[in-house]
Amino acid sequence: MITAIRAELLKIRTTPLAAALLALAAGLNGLVAAVTAARAGSGGSLTVPPLDTTAGLRMVLTSGGFGLILAAVLGVMVASGEFRHHTATDTYLDQPNRARVLAAKAAAAAAAGLVLGLAATAATTGTGLVFTTARGYPLALPAATIARYAAGVIVASGLLAAIGVGVGSLIRNQIGAVIALLFWAFGIEQIIGGLSRSTAAYLPYTAAATLAGARSGNGMPQVPAGLTPLPAPAAAALLTATCVLIAVIAAATTVQRDIT
Amino acid sequence: MAVIEVRGLTKRFGPVRAVDDLSFGVDGGTVTGFLGPNGAGKTTTLRMLLGLVKPDAGTATINGRPYTELPDRPHHVGAVLEASGIHPGRTARNHLRVRAAAGRISPGRVDEVLELVDLTRAAHRRAGGFSLGMRQRLALAAALHGDPEILILDEPANGLDPEGVRWLRDLLRGLASQGRTVLVSSHLLAEVAQIADSVLILDRGRLITHSPLADLMAGTQQTVRVRTPRPEELKAALTADGATARVAADRLEVSGTTPERVGTLAAGLSIPVFEMTTQATDLEDMFFTLTAATAGKEALA
Repeated sequence: MITAIRAELLKIRTTPLAAALLALAAGLNGLVAAVTAARAGSGGSLTVPPLDTTAGLRMVLTSGGFGLILAAVLGVMVASGEFRHHTATDTYLDQPNRARVLAAKAAAAAAAGLVLGLAATAATTGTGLVFTTARGYPLALPAATIARYAAGVIVASGLLAAIGVGVGSLIRNQIGAVIALLFWAFGIEQIIGGLSRSTAAYLPYTAAATLAGARSGNGMPQVPAGLTPLPAPAAAALLTATCVLIAVIAAATTVQRDIT
Repeated sequence: MAVIEVRGLTKRFGPVRAVDDLSFGVDGGTVTGFLGPNGAGKTTTLRMLLGLVKPDAGTATINGRPYTELPDRPHHVGAVLEASGIHPGRTARNHLRVRAAAGRISPGRVDEVLELVDLTRAAHRRAGGFSLGMRQRLALAAALHGDPEILILDEPANGLDPEGVRWLRDLLRGLASQGRTVLVSSHLLAEVAQIADSVLILDRGRLITHSPLADLMAGTQQTVRVRTPRPEELKAALTADGATARVAADRLEVSGTTPERVGTLAAGLSIPVFEMTTQATDLEDMFFTLTAATAGKEALA
């Protein structure tokens, strides 16, 4: 198993894709955080409270939804890329136990997702803190809370990347898998959340967003207003269970298909 | 002793029987050409042998075990199945590093096999910019990584220029002379005729023949062409002698006899002969005849 994980990690490190997604996540998160912080306290239609308030600072520090979805996309690419580039043949020649390959990919993608989450949250948090300091405000949130948001982003990114591996194994078409992922996160979850607020907290992408500190009415995705988020350990457990469930379904079905 | 053993192997894709009750064995230390027209079932057979495609019936074993249950696989079997299966964003060297990591092969082998396939200078280039020939070389390098005793190659000459084909032939000959077993598929007989000890010919999923190349060569017929002003008379004499002859203008095409016999008969009848040549039906023709025969039967069925 260690051999398989090492090979998968090397695969991720030796293509430009992971680095590109990491740069994209950090760049977008920094940009969104900068725009949000610049608008803070200025009124307008989409109000961002001033940066010297708890609500304002939180809104900036938890605006990093892009990083989360990109972590999931990374996982999808790790799995479905094998079919896009016809490298699955070699992968299964080297390791014929396909369930083991899937597990190794999930583990390697999770590790890459953690790194991506770290870069993404560093961009968001750094930008937020720069704006706050530049305006001469004291921090409206305790350092421990800020650290908890950051840790939430990192953990959620790792778990979403692992979930992405399951999605990419179930849907081998890379573009199809990414579209399915976006449709689920920004379509289905939003609709279910709008219909039933009590259910919303248990949806994986919403759970990942709340784990990363997002609260009602801000960020991407929009967390439904009035939602009571799951406690962090419960959200992490929910994401882990989702990952295992999708992986088990994939391992029993699509993963066993003939490689022609 | 057969190191590769295929028994009753069958695979259907929808209504098509890609491989149909196929059985054969490949002896250790031999080079076997696995031939057949495109779509004959060669690739599907090799993929079943390597555990990538599940057979509907039958078994395929290497050294007595299914590929998936072999211990220390890279040292037993090296396989090249798809030249396109290289990530375009990965460099040649990194591609081999990944395969080495997955096969638990010493990373030190990477540079050795790059050298072996003549790709040292392209080691740090991304495979996306490689020609088909370079990709084939890279795929071969990965197959040779574990210094395997058995090589299974699916159409390795595809995309190679004449120089590349010669290079491949020399490489395979060298590997075979070290006592390795090579099973190499091709849709072109000429590609393997110079290196194979025996050939397996497959058509529409069925085995047509499996015999030593020498036997196949011996079975090829010789045609004698005679230019004479009296072809009809000579034809009658040859037919009476048991040969088969066909008149084409001032020429006779005779089979089932020897040039010595044709000359003797003509001299006995005082028939002038202006020219006589012999032509062996080559392997390629025989290959077509063998595969076309099954196609005909299929059409009648």
